[in-house]
Amino acid sequence: MDMVKTLTDKLSIEQVKIEILNTAYGYHQTFLQRLDPRTLFLWYLVFGVVPFFIHQTSVLIGLALFLIVLTAMAKVSPLIIFILTLGLLTQGGSYLIVGLFFGGEVTAMLPLLKLTLKLSVISMASIVVFCSMSPEKLSDGLLKIGVPGQVSFSIGYAYRMLPTLVEEYHHIFLSYRLRGKAPVKKGLFYSRQLFYYIKLLIKSFYPLMLSVAKRSRTMVEALESKGSLYGFNHPKVKQLKLQHLKIKRRDVLFFGLSISYFIILIGIS
Amino acid sequence: MNTHTRFTLTESQKMMVFILSMSLYGLSNMITELIPKFYLGPIEFSVEYFAFIPLSLAMIFHPLYAAIGASLGEVIFGEIMLGQFGGIGELEKFIAFSLAIFIAGVIVRNPENKKQVALGAMAGVIIHQFISMSVDILKVWVGVEELDAVEGLAESVVVIEGIAFLNDVLFSGILFALLPTLYLVPRLYGKIEPLLGMKPRKNDLQLGLSEIITVPFILAVVVLGSLSFLFEYLSETTFGWEWEAPLVDRFGEWIVFPVMVVPVIIALSVIIFLVKRKGRKDTDGYSEVV
Repeated sequence: MDMVKTLTDKLSIEQVKIEILNTAYGYHQTFLQRLDPRTLFLWYLVFGVVPFFIHQTSVLIGLALFLIVLTAMAKVSPLIIFILTLGLLTQGGSYLIVGLFFGGEVTAMLPLLKLTLKLSVISMASIVVFCSMSPEKLSDGLLKIGVPGQVSFSIGYAYRMLPTLVEEYHHIFLSYRLRGKAPVKKGLFYSRQLFYYIKLLIKSFYPLMLSVAKRSRTMVEALESKGSLYGFNHPKVKQLKLQHLKIKRRDVLFFGLSISYFIILIGIS
Repeated sequence: MNTHTRFTLTESQKMMVFILSMSLYGLSNMITELIPKFYLGPIEFSVEYFAFIPLSLAMIFHPLYAAIGASLGEVIFGEIMLGQFGGIGELEKFIAFSLAIFIAGVIVRNPENKKQVALGAMAGVIIHQFISMSVDILKVWVGVEELDAVEGLAESVVVIEGIAFLNDVLFSGILFALLPTLYLVPRLYGKIEPLLGMKPRKNDLQLGLSEIITVPFILAVVVLGSLSFLFEYLSETTFGWEWEAPLVDRFGEWIVFPVMVVPVIIALSVIIFLVKRKGRKDTDGYSEVV
């Protein structure tokens, strides 16, 4: 029980809030950050898709090593790496257990390990790419490759609104707690308490829905008065907005070198 | 043509619904990511998602914009901001979830009718979970080479995903989609619409089948169909290596690489083209669904 207590202390809502904001806004100046978003997209298209169809273990290990180096270079937050490994382990583990139950042997491990390796290569590729793009860069990059302007606006809007929304939701949740009465008995495995809190979590969305509705109306009216809804997909506006995106020498070098590494890996094995 | 006045939204009202759905569902997604999961044997008790938010919004407002907004909110808040964006894998989630919420919203013609609301909520969850189950199974079948060599793997994947499907539909579906939607829709109906400067959906609104099967609906089905076809096609190319053996002999193993890239690129460009066309239709004002 002591362990649970220390764990809950560490996982207080404040802490979680801070960690979320850290993950969302904490950007380091890394090498990958300075690359053009289009280079990163193209790189991702290769390293995030092709590994899925590679079955040689040596190539996969080589790729994994390369991506581990890149992940270290991208200075990804530990929280994300923790979530990633946890997800991979639980998925692979559950398949293994049920596979054994259906009369498989321990050799069932090997192809599954390979699949896990494959999936981790793919996830690392996406983490490397999308963690090294600031929101502005990501939305500009998306706009450049032809995603509708509403999407790139939404990314910017989400980054702006997140702290406000979290704060407001937390307030509503706390006021529900103040007015409500928590169950006296904890129930089996804290089930009563758990259901009480989940019910509050759901109910808190009702006032939030109304206030967010008001806010989104204000937002859209502000957008309208600036003519943004018209400008979202206007070619000239886009051109003006995306002037700063340029493919430089380091983009070509990075892309070329990593692709040649990939090809050499496949060639060797 | 219609005897009653149609429930139509202006361009900016659609944007409002979109932003509303995006920010609310996005926030809820962050919360559900943080709620711990409980395992009772193979059965997992987890808060999969707060599906009631996009469901109620789709029933009260415009189904399509609420659905797309929610999916985008999930991608932005739950994935990009937490740094877990899965890239192309998210496309499948995006399409499946939008389609499910959209259909749920279309089913409900009168938000005050509890039976319709319940039916819509459950239909939405079942459609979404079914699509994601099929994709998960296919992922392992395609991703693991020599699937038959591993005894019991193919079956175990089906069993695990099947249990997860039932579990999600019965547990998450009832607790986090059905009950909250039944609680919220009657309360929000008539109250939230004025905040966006619009009238509530009419009670007596009757839709013909021709109004449901409109351009976006058909496009969504086409996109989904091509996606499943893509998976099917890719599985063919990975399993059917035998007949390419001479090619491999002549050029070495690396020939596999360009051969595989071609179908991926073709399929991707088809999807992007379809999605883009769909987007353009949306902004140019297609016939209103509801």
